Amino acid sequence: MSYEKCCRTQAVVVHGLATLLSHYRRHPGQLAMLLLGLWVASALWSGVQAINASARDSYARAEALFTTGLDRLERRDGQALTLNDYLRLRRAGLPVSPLLEGHLEAPDGTRLTVIGIDPFTLPGDSPFATAGSTGELTDFLTPPWQTRLAPDTLTALGVMDRRARGAGPRLADGRRLPPLVLAPSLPPDTLVMDIAAAAVLLDSGERLSRMVAAPDSLAEAPEGLVLTRAATLVSPGQLTESFHLNLTAMALLALVVGLFIVQAALGLALEQRLAMLRTLRALGVSGRSLVGLLTLELLLLGLVGALAGIVSGVWLARLLLPDVAATLGSLYGAGVTAELNLPWHYWVGGVAVTLGGLFLAGAGVLWRAARLSVLGLGQSQAWRAGFRRQLRFMRLAGALVALAGLALWAWLARQPPGEGLLAGFGLMAALLLASALWLSPLLAALLAGLEKLAHRRPLTQWALADLQLQLPRLSLAMMALLIALSANLGVSSMVGGFRLTFLDWLDQRLVADLYLRPPAERFEEIDAWLAERAEVAERLPTRRTEATLLEVEREGLTRELALPTSLYGITPGKALMPSWPLLATLAGREAAWQAFREGEAFINEQLAISEGLAPGDRLILGAPQGREGVTVAAVYPDYGNTRGEVLLATPQLTSRFGAPPGSIGIVLTAGTDDAALGQALTRRFGLGGDSLVDQREVKRIATGIFERTFTITRALSALTLGVAALALLASLLAQARERRRRLAPLWALGVPRAQLIGVQLGQLGGAAFVTGALAIPLGIVLALGLVEVINVAAFGWRLPLFLFPEEILLTLATAVAVALLATALPAITLWRTPPRALLAEEANS
Amino acid sequence: MNVTKRVATILVLLWVAGCEGERSDSGPGEPAGFAGLGEEAGDFAQAHAGIELRFPEDHGAHPDYRIEWWYLTANLEDEQGEPLGVQWTLFRQAVTPPEARPEPTPWAADQLWMAHMAVSRGETHRVAERFARSHSADERNDRGGQAGVQAQPFQAWIDDWQLASRVEAPEADTFERLTLTSHHADEQGGFGYDLRLAADGPLVRHGENGFSQKSADGQGSMYYSQPFWHIEGSVTLDGETRAVSGRGWLDREWSSQLLGPEQRGWDWFSLHLADGHKLMAFQLRGGGEDGGDYRSGSWITPRGDATALAPDELRMTPLDTREATGREVPIRWRLEVPRVDLDLIVEAPHAERWMDTSVPYWEGEVIAFDPASGEALGEGYLEMTGY
Repeated sequence: MSYEKCCRTQAVVVHGLATLLSHYRRHPGQLAMLLLGLWVASALWSGVQAINASARDSYARAEALFTTGLDRLERRDGQALTLNDYLRLRRAGLPVSPLLEGHLEAPDGTRLTVIGIDPFTLPGDSPFATAGSTGELTDFLTPPWQTRLAPDTLTALGVMDRRARGAGPRLADGRRLPPLVLAPSLPPDTLVMDIAAAAVLLDSGERLSRMVAAPDSLAEAPEGLVLTRAATLVSPGQLTESFHLNLTAMALLALVVGLFIVQAALGLALEQRLAMLRTLRALGVSGRSLVGLLTLELLLLGLVGALAGIVSGVWLARLLLPDVAATLGSLYGAGVTAELNLPWHYWVGGVAVTLGGLFLAGAGVLWRAARLSVLGLGQSQAWRAGFRRQLRFMRLAGALVALAGLALWAWLARQPPGEGLLAGFGLMAALLLASALWLSPLLAALLAGLEKLAHRRPLTQWALADLQLQLPRLSLAMMALLIALSANLGVSSMVGGFRLTFLDWLDQRLVADLYLRPPAERFEEIDAWLAERAEVAERLPTRRTEATLLEVEREGLTRELALPTSLYGITPGKALMPSWPLLATLAGREAAWQAFREGEAFINEQLAISEGLAPGDRLILGAPQGREGVTVAAVYPDYGNTRGEVLLATPQLTSRFGAPPGSIGIVLTAGTDDAALGQALTRRFGLGGDSLVDQREVKRIATGIFERTFTITRALSALTLGVAALALLASLLAQARERRRRLAPLWALGVPRAQLIGVQLGQLGGAAFVTGALAIPLGIVLALGLVEVINVAAFGWRLPLFLFPEEILLTLATAVAVALLATALPAITLWRTPPRALLAEEANS
Repeated sequence: MNVTKRVATILVLLWVAGCEGERSDSGPGEPAGFAGLGEEAGDFAQAHAGIELRFPEDHGAHPDYRIEWWYLTANLEDEQGEPLGVQWTLFRQAVTPPEARPEPTPWAADQLWMAHMAVSRGETHRVAERFARSHSADERNDRGGQAGVQAQPFQAWIDDWQLASRVEAPEADTFERLTLTSHHADEQGGFGYDLRLAADGPLVRHGENGFSQKSADGQGSMYYSQPFWHIEGSVTLDGETRAVSGRGWLDREWSSQLLGPEQRGWDWFSLHLADGHKLMAFQLRGGGEDGGDYRSGSWITPRGDATALAPDELRMTPLDTREATGREVPIRWRLEVPRVDLDLIVEAPHAERWMDTSVPYWEGEVIAFDPASGEALGEGYLEMTGY
């Protein structure tokens, strides 16, 4: 390229870009709208992605920890293993390693998990290999020992990052931890140290929490011990997958709504710059250069928007993460750090998604700019014809999306229940998109129809015709509003319905007044003591253990499985049986409980759905003495549980599966003080505060978990609605000046300003009302989809569909209020504009 | 062998960095000598000339010294006359000097144990490694700990691997007849051995009545051997068990600073010669006069009388190298002891005897023959470190 040519190209780029951008100097509102759209879309998306990335990082760290991925050995009678048990097994040649796990309280109240290991016998890649800190094994093994921890655990200990190494911070009880060594690969709130140091801190003497072994290195469990294979332990990543998919779907929704604003703003900016673009073309800028310039402009705007969005997204994530972490902790037992940990690809991905979305939204604009005719007349007539074409396209695209949705639905209908979470979200997306695409044609048809009806009322007719003219610009904002409203309605119906069902179910399940978790070695003694007490009406001992579901037999067909399943033992007592909820039985509740007492099983809804089981089917479970067969007598709802569960009578679970002692539910005789019994228990057996919980406390905790679970869903759905409202507001503000110009002739013809404003409010309020009205059936269908498809696939439970009229009314009112608010601001400006200015604008047009 | 790989990273570092003493003139962060054996002894007990060996006490552990081993190699053959090699070693390392030992709380340790076992036959070479900890003040040390050594009745063990006396009478010399049992499960069907050892001769003290000097500046270790083992039993390799018999050599050595700081490794021979003599010979590369290699050895008569060989009485010349697991190692040597008119070619028939353990080294069977006639003159073991 010659120097001259190079200079010319540079000049075209610089001057062309300056000319293009000068438009935004004259119309800062449009720039603001464009950036706002990009910013909110990118912020919500990257906020949720930040949460997901942090959570995934925590799971990955938890999975990399030696406590997962290894086979575990515990004593069958539930008592603690000791150093001597360990030595006996090692001397017999078994490759086991001792593990001590306990909890300590940090000065700020955080519960820290302490894991004591023996690096000499620990199988697999120990934290040394991954933590990057080597050469210090002697320091690790000898006093004052070392505490290995991830940097995000430092805050709880009140240690600054820089001063962390070698610091020996104090615990809540004033004792000092061994000097710190940072190991970023460790999970949050986890301290790893030599087992000798952990034994001192936890005051555990020669007791062990468990022994671990490399997967499948032991052929069978040694005498008196229970061997739990690592394969049967579910990792937090697997459990929480659906939770994160839900979040991602919400974020995607917000992104789409934000991009609607962007497209509206870009379209508007192009319309208004058509004349300028033609001038540039006439001055010799080639069509290709013009498209290049517009692309460059998009890139600049996109980068600004994406960076602002990511910064706000991280801020948003920081705000929401503690709630998410608490939810994941209580619902799935998955430890997630409350501090953000963002990998590099997060930042790149955030910018890429925003830019990608921006170019998708701007593709139409670029296409039109490329085909720009130099001689074309940029008039609204031509433009209207364009809109007609656009409406045809929208109808067609809507139909195609709807067809795709139908196909998905047909496919889903043939899947076993509980499958197709992604397809479910796809179906929802298709439904929303098809409705959004059909919205404008529908509004246009509606307006055309109304116009015919109103031919005797000139002002109304004008208003309708004018609205038709506004429709191309309003349509995108209205589409965004429709999507946000229906999503909001769908989500709140689902959450509300779940809430009702859940609270009801909680009442049915929690029949005991007190729940006691005695230490395993004193279980019998405490149980016997309780049996003697007059105020105890009934004891409902429970036990838990794990087993592998080996086979299911259904309608004479046997299917082999190897499904890790939890076994739960309950006591079918007088207090429990009448209220325990059952979803399906073979021959009524009475018969089901009779069978249960005789050794048959109930299964939870999750297991029934995932394996397609029903009452009457037979299960073969792996038990310590071989295979145990049980018949499914009933299916029960088990909200909040993420795994399949088999329910058996506690004595059955003890004798057939060797389950260790668990907790005791205590039903008191009427009018007894539960606090008095609690005190007596504590006095007599010296039980700690956390081994005895009353029913109110359990309910409070469970409800708290529930509320937190949906906090973020509700927050995101509300934010999305906010974005849609902004979209509408922004598109109205952007064309306020032009609107004034259209209103000026009417004013000149003698229509009072109050009436003019009334007309405007009516136009938009009406359009928003229609959109809101359409959002209601759409929202109900969405709620149905969430309840019937998404929840079943994600959590394994099905809920009845509840509709809340007040929510529906609120949706409609929100739509109208948003529209009126968006009209009010330009209307106030109009009210304040002196008539002379209006006349001047009329003269200009 | 994920586990081995992992522990390797740890243990190399442990062996290397397990010291409080000042680093000598090797560079900062560089371990002194092979595997840190050249670290200064610091507050540990020191091996020196004049220490009287006492038995059976000295068969047991010496926790006040930094490092110690019980090292058995055996040249065996099965019923078809096919040769087999067997190695079993228990290493002890003190992580703190005696006065800095931690309180004997549960799990607290001042002694670390590492054991290696190997079986080799033809090209096959199988290796396993174990680790354990103990506290020298723990009363379990006499039998119940994960690893340990007791002098009377003799027993050395880690997990289920053990070298133990089978002499019933407690007042007799329990070191004379031993049983060695070690098995390791692996994907190839497992390997291991059950061997009965009987001593056909006396214990042999090396160097100056048991003090074996290791460098010109006087560093050294306490060192004695039992080179007269007659062995019978069975060896399992890749799931196949064979009846075997042959000869074994057991080394006992302890010290707090085995090597001079500039010594990078050693080549060590133990040979059973056809005429009933035995030869122990080693050279430490570096650390001799004027920076040369430091050589030493013992010439042992069939009756067990040992003559210490001075550095200038031994000539050891590498003749040929071969690649073993990616390292060039000399597997063909010329060994000359003019004082007793000995001239031998010592050669490893199979080069693949690399011990890919946390402290890696080469350890394998060798045969000795006459340089001129090629007549077979004996067999034994060669250990080479620092390659």
